[in-house]
Amino acid sequence: MGKERSTPELLPGTLYMLVLRTLSRGPLHGYAIAKRVREASGQSLVIEDGSLYPALNRMLIKGWLKAEWGISENNRKARFYRLTPEGRKQLDKEAAEFDRLVRSIQLVMRTA
Amino acid sequence: MGVLRETLSRVRHLSRRQTFDSELDEEIRFHVECRAGELEQSGMARHDALAQAKREFGSAVRAREQTRSEWQFPWLEDLVADLRYAARALRRNPAFASASITCLALGIGANTTIFSLSAEFLFSEPSCRDPQSLVRVWIGGSSAAPMREYRFIRDAGIFEGVAGENEESEVNWQRQDGSERLYSVRMTDDYFSVVGLTVAAGRPIEPGENDRVVLTHRFWQRSMGGDPNIIGRSMILDGRPYVVAGVLPADHRTVTGFGFSPDLYVPVSSEEAEVTLYARLPRGMTRQIARSRLVAACEELDRTHPTGNQRWAEGVGVFAISGIDRISGDEMFMPIAAFFAMLMIVVGLVLLIACANVASMLLARASGRGQELAVRLSIGASRGRIIRQLLTETLLLALCGTSAGLVLNLVLTSFISHIRLPLPIPLQLVIRPDWRLLAYSIGVVTVCTFVTGLMPAIKGTREAISATLKQEERQAGRSRWTVRNALVVAQLAVSVVLLSTGLIFTRNLVQASTMSPGFDIQRTIWAYMRLVPEAYTTPQKTRTVVDRALDELRRIPGIEAASIVHRVPLNGHLTTGGQVRADNGLPPVHLNFNNNYVGPDYFKVMEIPILQGREFLASDRPGALPVAILNENMAVRIFGQANPVGHTLQIGDRPPITIAGVASNSKYFTLGEENALAYYEPYTQLAPPDADLNFLVRAVGNPDVLLPEINRILTRIDSTAAIETRPMHDAMSLALLPSRVGAAILGSAGLLGLALAAIGLYGVLAYAVSRRIREIGLRVALGASPGRVLRLVLSQSLIVVSTGMGIGLAIALYAVQPLAAFLSPAVRPTDAINFALVGAVLGLVALGATAAPALRALSVAPSVALRHE
Repeated sequence: MGKERSTPELLPGTLYMLVLRTLSRGPLHGYAIAKRVREASGQSLVIEDGSLYPALNRMLIKGWLKAEWGISENNRKARFYRLTPEGRKQLDKEAAEFDRLVRSIQLVMRTA
Repeated sequence: MGVLRETLSRVRHLSRRQTFDSELDEEIRFHVECRAGELEQSGMARHDALAQAKREFGSAVRAREQTRSEWQFPWLEDLVADLRYAARALRRNPAFASASITCLALGIGANTTIFSLSAEFLFSEPSCRDPQSLVRVWIGGSSAAPMREYRFIRDAGIFEGVAGENEESEVNWQRQDGSERLYSVRMTDDYFSVVGLTVAAGRPIEPGENDRVVLTHRFWQRSMGGDPNIIGRSMILDGRPYVVAGVLPADHRTVTGFGFSPDLYVPVSSEEAEVTLYARLPRGMTRQIARSRLVAACEELDRTHPTGNQRWAEGVGVFAISGIDRISGDEMFMPIAAFFAMLMIVVGLVLLIACANVASMLLARASGRGQELAVRLSIGASRGRIIRQLLTETLLLALCGTSAGLVLNLVLTSFISHIRLPLPIPLQLVIRPDWRLLAYSIGVVTVCTFVTGLMPAIKGTREAISATLKQEERQAGRSRWTVRNALVVAQLAVSVVLLSTGLIFTRNLVQASTMSPGFDIQRTIWAYMRLVPEAYTTPQKTRTVVDRALDELRRIPGIEAASIVHRVPLNGHLTTGGQVRADNGLPPVHLNFNNNYVGPDYFKVMEIPILQGREFLASDRPGALPVAILNENMAVRIFGQANPVGHTLQIGDRPPITIAGVASNSKYFTLGEENALAYYEPYTQLAPPDADLNFLVRAVGNPDVLLPEINRILTRIDSTAAIETRPMHDAMSLALLPSRVGAAILGSAGLLGLALAAIGLYGVLAYAVSRRIREIGLRVALGASPGRVLRLVLSQSLIVVSTGMGIGLAIALYAVQPLAAFLSPAVRPTDAINFALVGAVLGLVALGATAAPALRALSVAPSVALRHE
């Protein structure tokens, strides 16, 4: 809000999917999740830091993630998030839906 | 089941809230420091890197708040916060809070009490095992079956068990100083096991135990003083020894229901007994299936054990004993249900008045709070949020009002539970708070909250929006007036209806109490004597006792005359119907009439004038010419203006009977009856003689002083007989009962409604005047006379009051018409006097409610009033 950004806003509803996908390769702490999303998108997708933690907690409530305290790569205490089987299922579902949506949009853009 | 899992994890979270906050802080700190570390590596100074990282993260507080709120039950936390805020608001304004809570408490107390009463009377669950599978069984169109038929049905193998009971039975309990009549339930020995009654002490009666009794808790308390060693004691009942086996719990409810509360359960002791059948349905069997199998069994019974003309297979019924099925299964209950429905409507109206009161107070308050609401709206609260907050305040009021109302309910119902109604059978309700009351109260709270709070909340916020932060208005806005005035109009209208019904029932009571029943009740004494039926096996034995008792009663000094009667008027009746053929050549007519058997001197004792002919004499005994006496109504109905004395009558296929005299009309069954026909025969014609003897005695002076002597004489004649003696005017309670109950309940509901409406009217007018104090001050300062100002205020209230009363009277005119069914014919519900009285009372109350605030306004000095904010 109000902040000037050169990067595009996240598509609404895709934040959960991105976080889930990031965690599908193994547990990460909050900062690493944000960093990986940014790097994997070639710096074009940025999760607003303020919205990351509410989203993570929302997914904890839904049972898609588990959180536990561990030691980070720089030897600090950090909270690691791990995908649960429900989370994996949710990821597959959201990814499939997203694919379909993107394909439909592309179809319209090319043909209509 | 996502919702469930989410709720569970939220609930689990509640216990970790403290650590959660510090962990979240640590996590955010870690996040920021990681970013700062990265920035530092790219060459930024430590201090700048940290500041940059913090800036990038944005507001940590907001992130924390949002994260935390993910875990909360938002509406619940809002509700708690709203309630806390509401409680503070109410504490700040104790006068408003206590007035509204009192209004609601009175309305809700009256409402829930009638609810408890109706629910208990109509839908009480009997204290037996699984009431759903227990049924009442009729065979041969009769509610009672002889013992032989009972055994046949029991052994027919249709039901899991069949038991019988006769609830209308009495026994004489013999003690050292005479005998007392007890209300017993005579039951077959398997009754306790089939019905499944539990005892609080001792044990139930088991099959084969024909000499055991089980006492009810109330009887044990009342007559045994709650003796803890009662189990195993013996009691002489109807001359036979019994042993007390057990005592029932205090909240025992009989399968008969309707508050029927006997003294004790005694096994059937005679083959002549007839019992109502109760059967236990086998699992899965419906009442329809049971009925068809029962019909088949009864056809078998009719074939193998024929009983005269009685066909047991006709009129077979299987009825529920609890719940709605019991009520709907019997036409007899419809008027009772209608009566309770009427009561519920009445107390519903009372509650509406109370809600309207609180609503108008809330409206006044909302306009006084316009500024507060406007501030909150302007700093970003949504209107819906504020409406929800205002509704929460009303919810708090409704909760407090309901709690206080429930306390009132408990007091009133425990009072009602202790009333023993003057009925020929003992009725006493066991009203306890239960889940039905709880569910109903929750409903009441919800309804009250919305009825009371919704409109003021919506209006209040709308005004706050329009008036945002402007100066508070000095002139009362028109639209608010309309709403509040409409409320008062509605309240007045409803209270006119309530007062009219209350007044009609009160007038009915006055009418009934002062109405002459057609016989004397001031110096007449009714002495009831119940003989032990087993001891009087021949009619001659009974006649001897009757003759001896009458003889000795007549010899008591201070007694003018004594007689005996089969049914005491207004305390039981016997109606007969049939073709009546007179010897006057006119065609026979079908008549329904009261049929009584009276001894010599009956009309003298009762002071019922004999208009023609003579009254019965001692010589009218069996063997003499059979004679009868008619009342005037019946004589006119059959013989017109001709003198019927000496003519003969034939009723149905009875032998012809000669008319000996015509007695003046009096009341027989109810005080409300009109033009009832009555037909008397000599007491000696009653066959077989009854074990219940009703002696009537005429005292020369005060009847009360004769009671002990009459008791002593009757006890001396047979010490096993139960004696109850009372002056006739005490025995009028049964006849007055419907009027008394109606007057008590509807009269108090009417008064309560009036009081609440008066408070509402006063509140609205007082508020109206207080808003105009400045204007009044100005008028007075400019030279208006107090009379003019008073007229101004009064005329304003006059419009409201007359509209409300007009509407109310119009509704009442129609609403009271169905009441005629409950009233004595002399009281017409649409009598103009009723409405005139109601109008006068309400008018006076309205005048008081208007004048008081107006006078107060006038007493304020103009200099003060002009500065009044």
